[in-house]
Amino acid sequence: MVKHYRPAGKKKEGNAAKFLTRTQALKQLQISLPLFRKLCILKGVTPREPKKKFKGNDKTYYHVKDVSFLHHEPLLEIHRAIRVHERKIKKAEAKKNLERANRLREKTPKPKIDRIIRQRYPRFVDALGELDDCLTMVHLFAALPATESKKIDVERVHKCRRLAHEWQAFVSRTHKLRKTFVSVKGIYYQAEVEGQTITWLTPHSLQQVVSNDVDIPTMLNFLQIYEPLLGFINFHLYHSIKLKYPPILDTRLEALAADLYALSRYANANNRPAILNSEASQSVESEQMESKPIGAETENKDSELRLAQLQHQLPSNEPGALMHLVEKAAGEDEEEYDEETRQCKNLFQNVKIFLSREVPRESLLFIIPAFGGIVSWEGEGAPFVESDQGITHQIVDREAQGHRFLSREYVQPQWVFDCVNARIILPTENYLVGRIPPPHLSPFVDYDEEGAYVPEYAKTIKHLQAAARKEVLPLPGLEKDLEDPQNLLVEGVIDRAAANHAAKEKQKMMVHELRYQEDLKKELQGATYTSAGSTAREETSAGLIQTGESTNNGQGNVDDGAEMSKLLLSRKKRKLLEAMRISNERKQTKNDVIVRRKKKIDEAQNQRS
Amino acid sequence: MKGQGRKSTTSQSREVKKPTEMDQKDEAIVNQQEAPVPSDSEEDSDYEYSGDSDYDYDSSDSLDYQSESAGSGELEENDDDNSGDSEGAESQDEDAVNPDGGSEGSDLHQGGGVESDSSEDEVAPRNTIGEVPLKWYADEPHIGYDITGKKIKKKEKADKLDSFLKNVDDSKNWRKIYDEYNDEVVELTKDEIKMVRRLIKNGAPHADFDPHPTYVDWFKWDDAKHPLSNAPEPKRRFIPSKWEAKKVVQYVRAIRKGLITFDKPKEADGPYLLWEDDSGLAEKEKHLTYIPAPKQKLPGHDESYNPPLEYIPTQEEINSYQLMFEEDRPKFIPKSFGSMRSIPAYENAMKEAFERCLDLYLCPRIRKKRLNIDPESLKPKLPSKKELKPYPVTCYIEFKGHEGAVTSISIEASGQWMASGSSDGTVRVWEVETGRCLRRWEVGEPVSCVAWNPLSDIHILAVSAGQDVLLLNTCLGDEEEQKRIKELLWAEPPKTSDDAGTKAPSVSWVKDDEHEGIRLKHLKAVTSVEWHRKGDYFSTVMPKGESRSVLIHQLSKKATQKLPFKLRGIAVRSTFHPSRSIFFICTQKSVRVYDLLKSKLIKKLDTGLKEASSIAVHPGGDNLIVGSKEGKLCWFDMDLSSKPYKILKCHPKDINNVVFHRSYPLFATCSDDGTAYVFHGMVYSDLNKNPLIVPLEILRGHANSNGKGMLDCKFHPRQPWLFTAGADKLIKLYCHH
Repeated sequence: MVKHYRPAGKKKEGNAAKFLTRTQALKQLQISLPLFRKLCILKGVTPREPKKKFKGNDKTYYHVKDVSFLHHEPLLEIHRAIRVHERKIKKAEAKKNLERANRLREKTPKPKIDRIIRQRYPRFVDALGELDDCLTMVHLFAALPATESKKIDVERVHKCRRLAHEWQAFVSRTHKLRKTFVSVKGIYYQAEVEGQTITWLTPHSLQQVVSNDVDIPTMLNFLQIYEPLLGFINFHLYHSIKLKYPPILDTRLEALAADLYALSRYANANNRPAILNSEASQSVESEQMESKPIGAETENKDSELRLAQLQHQLPSNEPGALMHLVEKAAGEDEEEYDEETRQCKNLFQNVKIFLSREVPRESLLFIIPAFGGIVSWEGEGAPFVESDQGITHQIVDREAQGHRFLSREYVQPQWVFDCVNARIILPTENYLVGRIPPPHLSPFVDYDEEGAYVPEYAKTIKHLQAAARKEVLPLPGLEKDLEDPQNLLVEGVIDRAAANHAAKEKQKMMVHELRYQEDLKKELQGATYTSAGSTAREETSAGLIQTGESTNNGQGNVDDGAEMSKLLLSRKKRKLLEAMRISNERKQTKNDVIVRRKKKIDEAQNQRS
Repeated sequence: MKGQGRKSTTSQSREVKKPTEMDQKDEAIVNQQEAPVPSDSEEDSDYEYSGDSDYDYDSSDSLDYQSESAGSGELEENDDDNSGDSEGAESQDEDAVNPDGGSEGSDLHQGGGVESDSSEDEVAPRNTIGEVPLKWYADEPHIGYDITGKKIKKKEKADKLDSFLKNVDDSKNWRKIYDEYNDEVVELTKDEIKMVRRLIKNGAPHADFDPHPTYVDWFKWDDAKHPLSNAPEPKRRFIPSKWEAKKVVQYVRAIRKGLITFDKPKEADGPYLLWEDDSGLAEKEKHLTYIPAPKQKLPGHDESYNPPLEYIPTQEEINSYQLMFEEDRPKFIPKSFGSMRSIPAYENAMKEAFERCLDLYLCPRIRKKRLNIDPESLKPKLPSKKELKPYPVTCYIEFKGHEGAVTSISIEASGQWMASGSSDGTVRVWEVETGRCLRRWEVGEPVSCVAWNPLSDIHILAVSAGQDVLLLNTCLGDEEEQKRIKELLWAEPPKTSDDAGTKAPSVSWVKDDEHEGIRLKHLKAVTSVEWHRKGDYFSTVMPKGESRSVLIHQLSKKATQKLPFKLRGIAVRSTFHPSRSIFFICTQKSVRVYDLLKSKLIKKLDTGLKEASSIAVHPGGDNLIVGSKEGKLCWFDMDLSSKPYKILKCHPKDINNVVFHRSYPLFATCSDDGTAYVFHGMVYSDLNKNPLIVPLEILRGHANSNGKGMLDCKFHPRQPWLFTAGADKLIKLYCHH
């Protein structure tokens, strides 16, 4: 094709008319790159891939419509105003006109995020559908240390923390939580809200490291939209269960790092608004104090001791207001629950759990009530103490020397997570303190996929589930691994001796079977050898040979069919097929590696026993 | 702060600290300001010396003092201060008169609870060196001189580890300060700490000191007998201010004009019910399609804090990762932590969150259809092979005898005989059914092609070897036939040389005595020979012959003619139309179709191949297949288009020959990879129906030698059998079951 000469000023055509490079967009919008990025983040504008990259492959392209969309955006105007305003403030400061500077600072225009949220997510469901990243980010920031040099201020961290807890309180109270997973990266939760599956990751409650190769301003830009988004969503959700939104928390519990519990108790207070109000004022006060430790002069005096004292000074109201309130409201719309929610709600119905120290308290305080359990912890403000006789399980991570109650079981925290994922109360035997717990499996793995590797414990859980449903699932021989006492339990062979005996027999059988298979293999190989030998002999004997069937052809037959049907495919489909084959192969090799390792481990175990 | 206190000489401190019974309060204050230095022996460093047993004053007095200091009002305190000043002056005088007593007093204060007799020995020596840089004494064994002029020895430095351990255990450690000047560790009292804090905040040292006391007017204004001024109250005090009114008017005007604007009331920016009515949003916004960000991959078992053992790679495997390419290396290595409390913070948490952010706003989003289908479903549905039987499946006979690669084979029209040419320079004729070698000719040069005359009664074999084409009498058939053949193969002795002068014949027909046939001498190497269906004409191809690369010979007239057409590209093969007088020449890139009667180019078929190697025409005449050296097979429907109807990439290596079966809907390809493909190629008489091509069978069995596999394949003229000739010196016959 001849490239046509286009006279200057004539309209462009094709991709060049539809797309802009980033530099062009910047020029058109007359803004700086950081601001452009911020706008893109806030408005959710992403680059687009033109069919033909007319300015080269190394450029990012934006659609003309997207750019003009930004062009008409009031945010742009507001940011320009902000810039002007900042200049004014600077000038006032330079002239030592602090009063004016402060006044101006207060008057700094603020971008309106609610409008953007409404625009980006026209329906509530849309917003819920894209909540994953928002929740993960908010939870991450809730766990970050506030560092001035990184521009992560205390207020922000507190707000994130509050929002996160509000969300968790809602999920917990409405029993929407479905799956949890303790990974190395943090704890994953999956909830189902209004038909949307929302998965988020919370970091482990440890000091997070803010590395230097991370551009915090970019993340803060995201947070700028995520924070209000979660706020609005929380509002909507609380509204839907008839709760007042900015929940008013018990400050004492809050200070004790049991905000979640405080949140869930909040709902209880519907019938006593007077107390609520007083609490409200207190909470506001305390929050202010927390966020601005260097604020008022009175508080200024012992700023160092502030945090420590806070715990003692806080009013001793009835602790844990939020959870009860939520519970009460929940009782009314019991009928609305679907089957799964009801199942989730009743999982820990008859369980009373006490958390010792050194367990991930925040996480467990979230999960256990979400599945209908009653929970308390060691420390102030707990609803019941350790010596409560009704406690059925105590979550302990480290074996302690203290008094042990015979009426309860001491289990590791993993038990809770595994129970939740399995949706049954697992036998605690393997999870007792001091033992190495069974592997913690990801609930997100789909075993239905063909050729997927199913870990042993997953099979065990499956049988336990079946047993819980009172179905008798026939135990196939392979899965009856007798090293695993779980299976035996299911079968009803609880007696240890019997189990051992069975195990021995089983092993014997296995050995026999193996030998038999090997024999078979040998036979087969021998047969092929002989046949091959005979053909060779025939070939050498005479000048011309009649063979019944060429050996080569026989072998080739298997993949011939596949090969030949590929012949007729178009090139596109052939390539697609090839890609599929490669990806399948990759999966297979991954699986194979795991299976091989498993075999090795089993062998080693067998040898030891 | 401490050093400041220390700087005052001892005499000064003595002066100030001199206690008198009358001004305890003052004493306390001053003492505090001066920051008394409690000695090391002092246990409780608070300045509550009032509680000490050997203190001179009454215990009741001291108690009084305490209560006073605790609850004293401001005014009182001030008074005390005032009186204290005067008293202090008195005491100073006293001190000057009686220095000994003064020193005793100071000792009392500093010594605290120590016996007054021994206090002089116990008290830490006071350094008198004054304000000199301490480094002057850095190398000296002493730190300075006490008041009597004796050297004060440096204390032995404690072991660092010991002191650290001691400090760790000591909860009051944070209050301890090392005083370099006096070489001692000083522990600050709680009150002192408080004072330090106050001073840091630029406050007064004393907690009770009020920098802004409420002013108490000492002057009594009212009811004085002689007032200071007797002037009457001025009028302006009773009328509204004119100036103020003016100012107000000014402001009002400014406001009206809009010169003064008021701050707008702050809008509440808290959350509200944003999605109150979702229903009205059915209408689509006029914007580009929005693609939501893909969700992050959910973690598998390997990311668990306690994964199944089989998910944890062994140390060797981890080491082997180092050998991998950076991209292939697994980013996450599963690891097991015995309990939840031992999970460390994930160091990449921030980084991964950030990378996700980058993905969210920097990556173009494309909706990609992820095919979640069975790969098998992509493959077309083929009619079952059983219905397409018969076709060659199994090797039935092997023909052995050649000592070189068998380059070409040809089947006689009746299907009873087969001829084969080999690179060892021999041509053999075999009986098909028995595999017996019937005859053998030594041609001398490697044979490139053999071809039987298509007529069943003329048993002539055309053999191309090197630059010659031999027409051989195979001596088959009855006598009458032999007679005819001999007649046909009788070539006149070469004509007089004058002919040659006028027009150099491209081919000379020479009688070949050795083989009892005719030898056609060509100018260049001949690669293929092809007979016309009537058995009179045959064509030869010399790829290097340029304008004479394709020649057509007539057997009956012993004549040769070159094509009247110009050929573009190098000719590879030629073939005759099975029913009409049409001639196909396959060049490397295209197939040219000529009408021989009209001597006209009818069609040019564009193969799109790099290098065609063979051509075969369907017995119907409308379809033809071309095999290429890149292993592709093109099926042309001549009525349809000049582009291939179908291209099959079946062989990984060169295709050497393609053939159609004469009666069965079969065609086959053979290739250097040592395989032959048998296809079902049905051409329907209904023009609307496309030809059906079904791959049927892959025939293997030939071994590769020198990169050559199957060199030729031919179908049996009547049976669905396929003969293949291999570079491994074998000829094989594949039959149906």
